[in-house]
Amino acid sequence: MSNFARQQAAFQRGILDGDETVLAEILDSPREKRDVLFGVYRYAYGSRLVEAVRNDHELLHRYLGDEAFDEMGHAYVKACPSRHPNVRWFSQGLPAFLKSAYSRHPELAELAALEKALNDAFDAKEGRVVELTDMAGFAPEDWSSLRFRPHPSAARLELATNAAAIWLALKNDETPPEATTLDDPARLLIWRQDVTPMFRELPAEEAMMWDEAANGIPFGVLCEMLATYDDPDNAAGRGAGYLHGWITAGLLTDVSVGA
Amino acid sequence: MNVASRLPGMSATSLAERPATSAKPAFLGFGLGLRHQHYDEILNGDPPIDWFEVISENYMLPGGQPLRTLDRICERYPVVMHGVSMSIASTAPPNLDYLQALKDLAKRVEPKWVSDHLCWTGVHGKNLHDLLPIPYTQEALDHVVSRVQLVQDFLGRAIVLENVSTYVQFNNSEMTEWEFLSELSRRSGCWLLFDVNNVYVSAFNHGYDPLTFLNGIPADRVVQFHMAGHSHMGTHIIDTHDHPVCEDVWELYAAALKRFGRVSTMIERDDNIPPLDELLLEVARTREMAEQVLSAG
Repeated sequence: MSNFARQQAAFQRGILDGDETVLAEILDSPREKRDVLFGVYRYAYGSRLVEAVRNDHELLHRYLGDEAFDEMGHAYVKACPSRHPNVRWFSQGLPAFLKSAYSRHPELAELAALEKALNDAFDAKEGRVVELTDMAGFAPEDWSSLRFRPHPSAARLELATNAAAIWLALKNDETPPEATTLDDPARLLIWRQDVTPMFRELPAEEAMMWDEAANGIPFGVLCEMLATYDDPDNAAGRGAGYLHGWITAGLLTDVSVGA
Repeated sequence: MNVASRLPGMSATSLAERPATSAKPAFLGFGLGLRHQHYDEILNGDPPIDWFEVISENYMLPGGQPLRTLDRICERYPVVMHGVSMSIASTAPPNLDYLQALKDLAKRVEPKWVSDHLCWTGVHGKNLHDLLPIPYTQEALDHVVSRVQLVQDFLGRAIVLENVSTYVQFNNSEMTEWEFLSELSRRSGCWLLFDVNNVYVSAFNHGYDPLTFLNGIPADRVVQFHMAGHSHMGTHIIDTHDHPVCEDVWELYAAALKRFGRVSTMIERDDNIPPLDELLLEVARTREMAEQVLSAG
């Protein structure tokens, strides 16, 4: 290892781990001691990354308050050093960290997961958006074999707690409800409509249909599956209704007649 | 990883000292750092700004509103890309995925130039997201020269490097920061972004005259000035970019104009972002001061 590389490793340890070895290679300034000056880097490291997490998780911050958020943020910075040159991706591991480190408050990980999903939708890849007029081009006999491709920004999330209700209350500057575990998990669909990230809760059968459609299952089979959920006589109508909703919300990037 | 093998037509031995031959970028006028708080006002109005500098990493994204807005800005204004994560002075292997993403963005933006900082941001796979200082040694200079050449070959263009604000100095430095920057520019062919505020901050922190730094930089290598604010802590100054430019830095700007002549200048505000009108007053002052100083000869 070169002397330069050794020195950088020591400098980094000084910031991340509080190792003081590097101070022997640093000069006092005319007005200040070296440990104070080196402390500028130590302080900036933690505060900058906690701020990055705060920017990405505005509502989690509001939910926890300044002090608890800062404590959590510094714990995350310590446990999960940044591995990506772009700070945009630093907070990606926060839901997993909270799930393990704050396991007695599962709503925190789920609130973070919802914010992460919305952030990811905000700057997700661009994709063509299927319009209702595109559907007019398909012959009636083709409909049963139509296959659908979700927009690149679309993602699904299942929440075991009422984190979505907490998110909504915080977003509207209202007092959030007490955190609870739901009897039946909330099935969320997150996506970007034009430039705005959105989410909505799906009924169980629509969630099933979306997941299977995203797996490439054709419309005819999707309708057969819907028939097992509720009244089989109007399964096709319900399927067409869900499909209409997806198209008007900009959730599909492609519809094609598949084999 | 053999980095040279990923450069078309390059071998490790051909990465010898070889200044880039690109022409000096043209003068752009008086610009501003693009911040999302001002997107609507800029796109719905016609503010008197000659060009914009964008933070490269803010747009190294898959898609969405930031890139769509950037496309619209690029249709109307000259744009310069300014990065914070190249880590040009790191002793870690170069991050080719980062460089490829930067190159892809440059293809989209067609910037007048691509800049970053003379610093490192981490080693051993970790990123500290800070502009960390280096010792001014021959060993460090040789390393950074070869790294700049590699990046320039990868990007297919000469890059522009900025002096950073520093809070510490190393006891093994063998030359001054301005000697290091001058040699780096001469040997690698990179251009220099002279951050007037950073010179002021580092000069105060380390106890030297900022004019000594200024006069130590070759006049023909500087293609851009940054003007920014800072936070004074009494015994040291922290480069926070969250205040207006202070009078001492304006004074140093006048001296920089006398030495370097007509140089593309911009106001850089990163935190505590004020309304656009407030920053336009600072942009106007860079323009007025340049006209005043340069017309006086």
